[in-house]
Amino acid sequence: MFSLIIKIARASLARRGLRSLLVILMIAVSLWGLLLIEGVYEGMIEQMINNAIRSDSGHLSLFARDYRSDPDLSRQVHEVSAIKAALEQDTRVRSFAERIKQDGLAATAHASRGAVIIGMDLEKEEQHGRLAEYLQKGEFSFGKKGKGIILGFKLADTLRVRIGSKIILSAQDMHAEVASAAFRVTGILKTNNMGLDERAVFIDLNKMRKMLIVPEGVSQIAVIVHEQDQLAEVQEDLHTRFPDLDILRWDELYPALMQSKVIMDGFNMVISGMIFCVAALGIFGVILVSVLERIREFGIMLAIGTRFGLIRNIILAESFFLGLIGFVFGSLIGGANLYYFKIYGLDLSAFSDAFDEFGMDAITYAVIRPSYFLTAFVAVLLATFFSVLIPLRVLKKSNPIEAINKV
Amino acid sequence: MHLKLAYRNITAYKKRSIVTLLLTTVTTALLVFMTAWMDGSHSTILSNAVEIYPGYIQITGKGFRDNPSFDNLIFDAQAINDKLGKQAGIAAFGARFETFVLYSVGEKAVGGMLTAIEPEKEAHLSRLADSLIKGEYLQAGDGNQIYIGNELARRLKVDVGDIVTFIGSGADYSFAADNLKIKGIFQTGLFEFDAAAAFLDKSYFDQIMASDNSATHFIVLPEEPEQAEQLAASIGTNLGPDYESASWNQIMAALVKAMQLDSVFGYITLGIIFTVIFFVIMIYTFLAVFARIRELGILRAIGTKPSEIFIMLILESCLLALVSVLLGGLIGASAAWYFEANPIVFASFEEQFKQYGMAVSAIPTAFMPLVILRDMAIMFILSVLSTLYPILKANRMQPVEAMHHV
Repeated sequence: MFSLIIKIARASLARRGLRSLLVILMIAVSLWGLLLIEGVYEGMIEQMINNAIRSDSGHLSLFARDYRSDPDLSRQVHEVSAIKAALEQDTRVRSFAERIKQDGLAATAHASRGAVIIGMDLEKEEQHGRLAEYLQKGEFSFGKKGKGIILGFKLADTLRVRIGSKIILSAQDMHAEVASAAFRVTGILKTNNMGLDERAVFIDLNKMRKMLIVPEGVSQIAVIVHEQDQLAEVQEDLHTRFPDLDILRWDELYPALMQSKVIMDGFNMVISGMIFCVAALGIFGVILVSVLERIREFGIMLAIGTRFGLIRNIILAESFFLGLIGFVFGSLIGGANLYYFKIYGLDLSAFSDAFDEFGMDAITYAVIRPSYFLTAFVAVLLATFFSVLIPLRVLKKSNPIEAINKV
Repeated sequence: MHLKLAYRNITAYKKRSIVTLLLTTVTTALLVFMTAWMDGSHSTILSNAVEIYPGYIQITGKGFRDNPSFDNLIFDAQAINDKLGKQAGIAAFGARFETFVLYSVGEKAVGGMLTAIEPEKEAHLSRLADSLIKGEYLQAGDGNQIYIGNELARRLKVDVGDIVTFIGSGADYSFAADNLKIKGIFQTGLFEFDAAAAFLDKSYFDQIMASDNSATHFIVLPEEPEQAEQLAASIGTNLGPDYESASWNQIMAALVKAMQLDSVFGYITLGIIFTVIFFVIMIYTFLAVFARIRELGILRAIGTKPSEIFIMLILESCLLALVSVLLGGLIGASAAWYFEANPIVFASFEEQFKQYGMAVSAIPTAFMPLVILRDMAIMFILSVLSTLYPILKANRMQPVEAMHHV
């Protein structure tokens, strides 16, 4: 019975081979396009979020209360050792890094710009956010004596400095006196986190403590967890343990990124919806015509005692086969294509200036999620199902047995 | 006669015609509207970015754009003033002197930009004067009064009437410092700009910074903003090799490129949707042509030439395409026209716009008849092309084979 349905469906699809091929191609192409859009666009956003997490916010950041609205050197996280101990014991936490931040002025002999001076421990940052991968020029070190400075590439550009150039930093210390010190550029970073690339200079944490007279305490502790799902939990736990601190997630620190993600997801949904409505229309047309063409054939089947249910199943099976084969082909091409972009990246370096403007990487590594294929499969299934509903009704109304008697 | 037959065929296969018609109409409307939307948003973002502060044309000393040091200043501002005054096509111009200084109030110090402007002229050149939110805008002879960005004021914890101290270096690299009194506070919406910029009347600035008769920039507002590039070039030749004159396309090259990139992504996405849609049109044409394959066979058998059948079928799809393109164009164009007059407001996305340095929350579409016609032509061609394969395929059959085609 079941094999009969499959047999008949297959035979009638093969009879109209070219037509079936067109429909399959259409489904495959639409799926391919959809998978590319989803994977590449999501990859872009993920990379932006990742850059922000690795270079600045972590999954979570601990600040002194109200530091965000008034980023002053005096607003510091104090119980550093207690917090460190708590983070080290927490198995959900992968890594953390402490930083001291202060607004100041970065000057060369010819130019000066406002800058955020960030004191950090390079070794720790390397384990934490693999910051060295962002190095554009020079080396990821502050030199033997710790007199080196690493800065964002846009700032380096506006200050016209190169590796080895001298930079004077001026900023207020803890006693509100202006302190200055000279540094040599050892590295230039391109994190594609626009705030950092345009304004940040990084110096050694201990050097910063001496320069600005900060004996203990830090401005920020960034935390990266193993599993994003546990983020809210970790945030909650830390908050109960250290109620005096502001503990913020990356999406609270970079609301624009979260917004981009929401917009992108919505955009993807709309596009997928549109593509599948059109594709459903295509399947519908083919099924309708093939049903109309075969009214006499179905009439004869009914006349010799076939139940209508069987005929319905045959039509359903035809539509389903078309969808399934299209889905398999589309997934294969789309998946292979996405996999290629996942490994080698989609290189749009020709537009690298433009990407810099948006704070995005010029090479996008696509994301592949099983959910892409799953939702696509459900969509194809729905499309094939709904596109046979009307043809079936048409068939029932047209009274196939009478149709035999007509020419 | 072909036309008549084509028309009859369209009405005879109503359902197929309606689906093809609808699809092409929607696609055309979508393309026309999306193009208007992308062009509109890009030009809004660009003109906002240009008009808030940078200006359409910037004149600098030679080498200043690559190396903005005090060695590459405009050292004879008066001469430029005289020359620009005589040049045609300029609506307004004025001098600026930009420096970076350390502001401090009590125990608080913040790095920022201190710029000298000619207040009356500047009011025409940028949106500074319009961005006032508290106190008053500057005027000539204001002395040590400054006009400060709201974020900078917030960081320094100062308000109108308060005193801010600055330390910086003068045009002769000498040490310069003074107390400045806040006259007004502005907010352009560009966060970075509002957090760093403050302005001072140039006549006072020149005394404390030893910058008499010099400037970092001259800003020019063209009478026709579209002509900025040509005007910049002609100013450049007029002023000679000691100066550089750049239009906004050069000054904001990265933003211009970013907008192009956005268009590229937009067209790729549309392209994918269109591919699917034209596949569907092809399938429907295929069905329609093969539904009357016997009819075509008979036509051939009674002596109709293949070329005539081809003309008849292609006319049919041309007619359909024409009607739907016109319809779709009309829908898309009226949407573009409507949203140009009533910009779409994106209040909730302001955060994201700000991140990209765009102080925009309402975006009008760009209603451009020529572009709309271009899009309609593209759609017409694509839609006819997608029917070509089924038509050729059906036409290639032998008459007898076609007549017996089940």
